[in-house]
Amino acid sequence: MRDVAIVGIGTTKFKSRWLDKTYYELAFDAAKMAFEDAGIDKDRVDSAVYGIYNDFFQRQYQPDAFVHDYLGLGLKPMVRVNSGGATGGAALRIGYQEVASGLQDVCLVLGVEKCADTYNYELQMATPEVLRAILYTADMTYDNPAGRTAASGFALAVVAHRDKYGNPTEEQMAKVSVKNHFNATKNPIAQSPKVLTVQDVLDSRMIVEPFKFYDNCLYTEGASAVILASKKVAESISDNPIWISGLGASVDYVMPGNRPNIYTFESSRLAAKKAYEMAGITNPVEELDLAELHDAFTGTEIMAYEDCFFCEEGHGGDLIDDGTVLPEGRLPVNLSGGLIGCGHAVGATGIMQTYEVCKHLRGEAGERQRLGARKGLVQSIGGTLCTWSICLVLER
Amino acid sequence: MNSAEREAWYRYQHEKYGIPVEHLRREFEEELSGKNPMDAPLEIPDKMEVVFKYSYGGQSRFFRELRENKALYGAQCPECGKVFCPPRSHCHTCYQPTQWKKLVGTGTVEACTVQHYTTSSFIKKVPFVCAYVKLDGTDSLLMTNMEVDDVAKVKVGTKVKAVYRELRLGAITDVYFKPLD
Repeated sequence: MRDVAIVGIGTTKFKSRWLDKTYYELAFDAAKMAFEDAGIDKDRVDSAVYGIYNDFFQRQYQPDAFVHDYLGLGLKPMVRVNSGGATGGAALRIGYQEVASGLQDVCLVLGVEKCADTYNYELQMATPEVLRAILYTADMTYDNPAGRTAASGFALAVVAHRDKYGNPTEEQMAKVSVKNHFNATKNPIAQSPKVLTVQDVLDSRMIVEPFKFYDNCLYTEGASAVILASKKVAESISDNPIWISGLGASVDYVMPGNRPNIYTFESSRLAAKKAYEMAGITNPVEELDLAELHDAFTGTEIMAYEDCFFCEEGHGGDLIDDGTVLPEGRLPVNLSGGLIGCGHAVGATGIMQTYEVCKHLRGEAGERQRLGARKGLVQSIGGTLCTWSICLVLER
Repeated sequence: MNSAEREAWYRYQHEKYGIPVEHLRREFEEELSGKNPMDAPLEIPDKMEVVFKYSYGGQSRFFRELRENKALYGAQCPECGKVFCPPRSHCHTCYQPTQWKKLVGTGTVEACTVQHYTTSSFIKKVPFVCAYVKLDGTDSLLMTNMEVDDVAKVKVGTKVKAVYRELRLGAITDVYFKPLD
């Protein structure tokens, strides 16, 4: 396998609604920024990988073909990836394979998502219809008719974890929400920068027990892109390449009843383990300078501390209590604000997280810069109770 | 658009998408009155819809037993003995075809939560319990929403029993669960 570098990055703002852009126009903005950042013309790209999650959100099946056309990349090979919330991470993995295999030298990996074009006219809001569109990705025969949502699936796992280990407590979850909303205040692309107190979170309305309003991530529209290049090309065109030194992936049984338990996400543990092995990391808290974890819900961020081996299983809640994951802590988590503060534009999310880690490794993260950052982790998960998991280790 | 054209627009969209005219009027009155600048983003009603005559394939008997006989069945692997509900035609470990096994219809809540917010299709039912139930005699979990007067009554470990609806359609929702007591 060949070494693979990220040589260009770009992202739109993450917003609740981009009323003045379609999905392919958002994709265009992110791609243009990434090409400009890499200092290359679009024609230098050999292939593209598009991470686009929900066809209903785009109001279009096979939306990848229309993005490809709009970007003017006709006749170049491309493939679309759809792996639920992990779509962005999964797209990066395919892009990595394109370049590492020697098949291509330069590959555009772009994630894009709309969502708030869906609408419930009676309630005069998008959210219940967004959830309805998402629920078509639950098993249509047995799960969809039960009316569960992505939040209730993850809530079941968090409740099961709490029953076994006594955490995460509602206070610990609230602290994660406060942290991520606060981190978002320093991120210019973030959707929900807010200075909240633990009490604000605890007092927000119940959505799915134990998740209150501020424990949930946001529905977001946006696009993010990175340009991957082989070592030879990277060294010739880039003076600040970021290397993908570790990559791990695992896909669990989508019907959680077929798993040994639901209080831990085994796919996340395996993805992290493989990524660390490849990157030669043995002590993640000591060796990593920052991590962007998939905080679709505060409780699952805490479970992710365990799944990414920042602590022993069952002790995730300790890391928010002792400050390890705060901006000034030993291993800051979600300096971007994460999905809770920056937003969750599903197909773009894993690529936005990668953009964020690259900004820190390049020393371009402004106010939220992790000083001296050399190595960072991206965790991208998705599907029913964390079916898909992808982890990437990035280094400068 | 003049007022006759606007009314025709509302009528057409109502007939095509089933959106009540008053909802359409609320959302589009300003747009149709011509107040918005030509370059402002233009929103329109739309819907993606496909109608099915869906085959349950190898799981057909499960749904026919549910509809005709008010009975729950699991699928057992003859090699490892594991019983699946939801059923499956093949064991994913042994790759053997499974055999039908009648279940008693009782079970235990393995994990549960209360939904206070949900999709357009279910939002009028909140709050409701969403749970994984392990049916007695099976080795897997069934996702279900539970019909109870008091959502706090359902907890991990709660024993539940199947209740069959009067009108059964041949869908998993023909059965629901309530606490055994």
